[in-house]
Amino acid sequence: MSLLDFARGPALQWSIVIFLVGVLWRLLGVLLLRTRKDLSEPRKAAAWKGLRLIALRSWPRKEFLGGTAFGEVMGYTFHLGFLLALFCFVPHVLFFADVARGLLGTDLSSLLGFGWPTLPNSIVTLLSAISIAALVAVLIHRLVSPVKRLISNFDDYFSWLVTTAPLVTGMAAFAHLGGWPYERLLAVHILSAELLLAWFPFGKLMHAFTIFVARGSTGMIFERKGASL
Amino acid sequence: MSSPLLGEFLRSRGVTRRGFLQFCTATASLMGVSSTLVPRIAAALEQARRPSVIWLPFQECTGCTESITRAHGSTIESLIFQAISLDYQHTLQAAAGAAAERARESAMKDNWGRYLLIVDGSIPTGNPGFSTIAGRDNLSLLEEAARGAAAIIALGSCAAFGGIPGASPNPTGAVPVSDIVKGKPIINISGCPPIPVVITGVLTQYLTFGKLPELDALGRPKSFYGQTIHDRCYRRPFYERGQFADSFDDEGARLGWCLYKLGCKGPTTHNACATVKWNGGTSFPIEAGHGCIGCSEPDFWDKGGFYRPLSTGNWGSARTVGTAIGVGAALGVASAALARKRQKDAEGA
Amino acid sequence: MTPTTPTTREPDPIELDKPRVSIRKPEHRFDTQGEMPDGERVERAMKSFVRDFGRTAAVYMESCIHCGMCAEACHFYEVTKDPKYTPIWKLEPFKQAYKREYGPFAAVYRALNLKPKVTVERLQEWQHLIYDSCTVCGRCSLMCPMGIDIASLVSQARRGMFNAGLVPHELWAVSERARREGSPLGATPKVFRDRLEWLADDHEIEIPLDKPAADVLCTMSSIEIMKYPDSVVATARIMRHVGADWTFRLDGYEATNFGLLSGNTAGQKELTMKLIDAAVACGAKVLILPECGHAYTALRWMGANVYGKPLPFRVLHIAEFLAEQARAGKLRLRKLGKSATFHDPCQVVRRGGAIEAPREVLQALGVELHEMYPTKGTNWCCGGGGGVVAIHRADELRHKVFKIKMEQIEATGAELPVTTCANCRQTFDDGQAHFKWDKTMHSLLELVADNLVEGKQ
Repeated sequence: MSLLDFARGPALQWSIVIFLVGVLWRLLGVLLLRTRKDLSEPRKAAAWKGLRLIALRSWPRKEFLGGTAFGEVMGYTFHLGFLLALFCFVPHVLFFADVARGLLGTDLSSLLGFGWPTLPNSIVTLLSAISIAALVAVLIHRLVSPVKRLISNFDDYFSWLVTTAPLVTGMAAFAHLGGWPYERLLAVHILSAELLLAWFPFGKLMHAFTIFVARGSTGMIFERKGASL
Repeated sequence: MSSPLLGEFLRSRGVTRRGFLQFCTATASLMGVSSTLVPRIAAALEQARRPSVIWLPFQECTGCTESITRAHGSTIESLIFQAISLDYQHTLQAAAGAAAERARESAMKDNWGRYLLIVDGSIPTGNPGFSTIAGRDNLSLLEEAARGAAAIIALGSCAAFGGIPGASPNPTGAVPVSDIVKGKPIINISGCPPIPVVITGVLTQYLTFGKLPELDALGRPKSFYGQTIHDRCYRRPFYERGQFADSFDDEGARLGWCLYKLGCKGPTTHNACATVKWNGGTSFPIEAGHGCIGCSEPDFWDKGGFYRPLSTGNWGSARTVGTAIGVGAALGVASAALARKRQKDAEGA
Repeated sequence: MTPTTPTTREPDPIELDKPRVSIRKPEHRFDTQGEMPDGERVERAMKSFVRDFGRTAAVYMESCIHCGMCAEACHFYEVTKDPKYTPIWKLEPFKQAYKREYGPFAAVYRALNLKPKVTVERLQEWQHLIYDSCTVCGRCSLMCPMGIDIASLVSQARRGMFNAGLVPHELWAVSERARREGSPLGATPKVFRDRLEWLADDHEIEIPLDKPAADVLCTMSSIEIMKYPDSVVATARIMRHVGADWTFRLDGYEATNFGLLSGNTAGQKELTMKLIDAAVACGAKVLILPECGHAYTALRWMGANVYGKPLPFRVLHIAEFLAEQARAGKLRLRKLGKSATFHDPCQVVRRGGAIEAPREVLQALGVELHEMYPTKGTNWCCGGGGGVVAIHRADELRHKVFKIKMEQIEATGAELPVTTCANCRQTFDDGQAHFKWDKTMHSLLELVADNLVEGKQ
């Protein structure tokens, strides 16, 4: 079995399985823990309105912006670039469409009523390059900033690696880097994405899910008190 | 049957000096060899001895023979077959039966250690009776013939990689030549079938330089298999711009857009189809509107489907996904229950 | 945790002023309570953490992405730029314990020892971070991009530290005193009653005590009783002015809760129940909390949960009560033609939600309000809350933080700094003395009481 066959076959299946098992385990393992009803009289009745914190916390209050603007901008830059490259690059879209077809039994576009938007390859290349640059910037910041250096651990650095690798290997494969065999470059890229999937449930990448729960919980707790959101 | 030297033989067949040099030039450019070497190719071919070639057909469909003998308006390719002494070839030979076998045995004996062995079709290892020639199984035939060969050309994807017979579930236990023959130079000329000029180009190179051309990791001549279809495809600009045909007769298809979405395996297929093309340079599958099926790559039948895009994989099924979700959920419930229990115990303590 | 009973031979731990400075690592000085072995301390801390963890805390523990932005919001980090004051770093042993003992992968963490067991040394090292350098002000919670309520986690962490006997001595001592005597500062029921008598005499005002039934139960903080007794008088004046049917009660008057601040859950409950029982006993419809920050958190937001059922009365901070009265037109006030700026007590405003009430009162007072920057929810903490003002080894740090407040107030150009928390006021007074600053913090309650227009129209 060639490396590419392995990457598109068993590695793909297992990484998806690990991802799903891990995410469900970690999420439910937390969401099913004990909660206690708050018996205090709320200041505001509709605590659910606090869910707006999920959107609000997406940008710091201007009073805090001084020391945090760099991190916020770099963070958004790489997130957006990464997500656009992942979800709007034609070969990726075909992959997801194939999965969706297998799971839903029908084409996603017929369910949605519109075709999934895609970006030209040149734009995806540009976005990937910008994302990698932003990722490098945040890594440097993590190594240089005394606060981040103190609080960072293996998870931070490894998660950085598994996030950056698919972008780098993807660009390398697309550019047929070094004239190396395309199948190998493609296989390495696919394997790097699978590593990301497999690591996802166990490190800080889970923030993709927990961000909604954490912001939502705090939002509701604070909203019912009328506390500052 | 022959005059010993190729130059003489060609002249006897009415090939002009000019025509001969044109062939040498064309071949040189096909092989990626400098045009300054054309005189050397011409000189070498002039003096080339017409080597003996034994062609053993195993589990094959005769498509490779069909391809190679399609000399549409180009007599040069067919003439090269005059430049070799094709001493055994089922489709082309006049003899049959015991006479044919005797011809093979004597050619092998006379040229022992010097003949070129061409093999097409895969070799069954499941049961020797699955494929025989004159009552003799392919495996033992190959082993014997290989012992006396100077070099072996595994012609077509079946001989090179196992091909169609080797596709899942491989009922005959089909294997490529390289699985059986060790310690002999093997050139894999893959393709289902290979392009005609590829075989003649390789032969010419062998005759000219007396040694095998530079081969890639899969034993294929780099001069023809060094690049992918994608690298040379005339529709590449559409790929770059993201203009794809979504179905076989839609607007994009009619405009000649990239066929990636329709399953084209061009990016991972190494062959010369996009440059040399087929039928004397008329066209090739993508130009005709169908994606490349990757026929010159190993196990091309088992790569997930000709019409599934390259970026899809064997991700599993709704069942595996559902099971994984179920297992994950169960573990989540269990770990929460365990934590709650530890909490109760801590509270009681 | 039972303290050592004082005998003639053994001095009481509260009174003990043993040398606590370590020569080799003075900054790593930590205090302990009790004589238990190290292993037991850790066990108690772990058990406490496990008891306390719930879904919300767990979600928070799972969500931190180590961005470090919480440091930008913390006044202790702001004035030292020392990364150890990063708010979420204060929770590090807590996080460690969570992952190992309670999280979804806890069994795997333990089996593979992916997170080592928390050691007593680590907890000792963390005492300074969890107590000396956190006022539980909640600014970090407002910053966190993941929405983690870091401040609430520090409060929870303190419970483990208390059970492990690792509370800074002064904080433990006042907490223990509160438990024994009913007040952390010596305002025992007898002292309170005596004070009420002479205050009533001195200021010629009736101060009801122990009425068997009343609509309004008023409470005070020991800081006011002992240091700012004018606030007691001010309360009485205002209640009289608005014609409230009110009382103090000796069985429930102390609004501060050092159980909450030190992490003594049992102590916290005791103190809270006193207030609730007193209100129930006199059938009060409203319980008024004094100018105190954490008192508001303790009763308004935590009280019902400690009680186990909804409180049968409303809970109002005095500033909220004053705002209601102003809105109802019941406060007749002289207009102060002065400029003022308002320091937001963290527990009342940012954490408690009474953001506009103090400002409504200031408006009723007719001051020209110059908001400081930042203000309201994002205002800087005075640096003395959460019990920090009681921990003397933290004084130097607290004074550094105080500079922020001085700069803020100076920048407004306002004449009158005003707040509505006696602990903030105490911190400002201490800072004013230390820096020989010319601005004095005023109490909103006293300002209102001093400017009441009495008598018939």
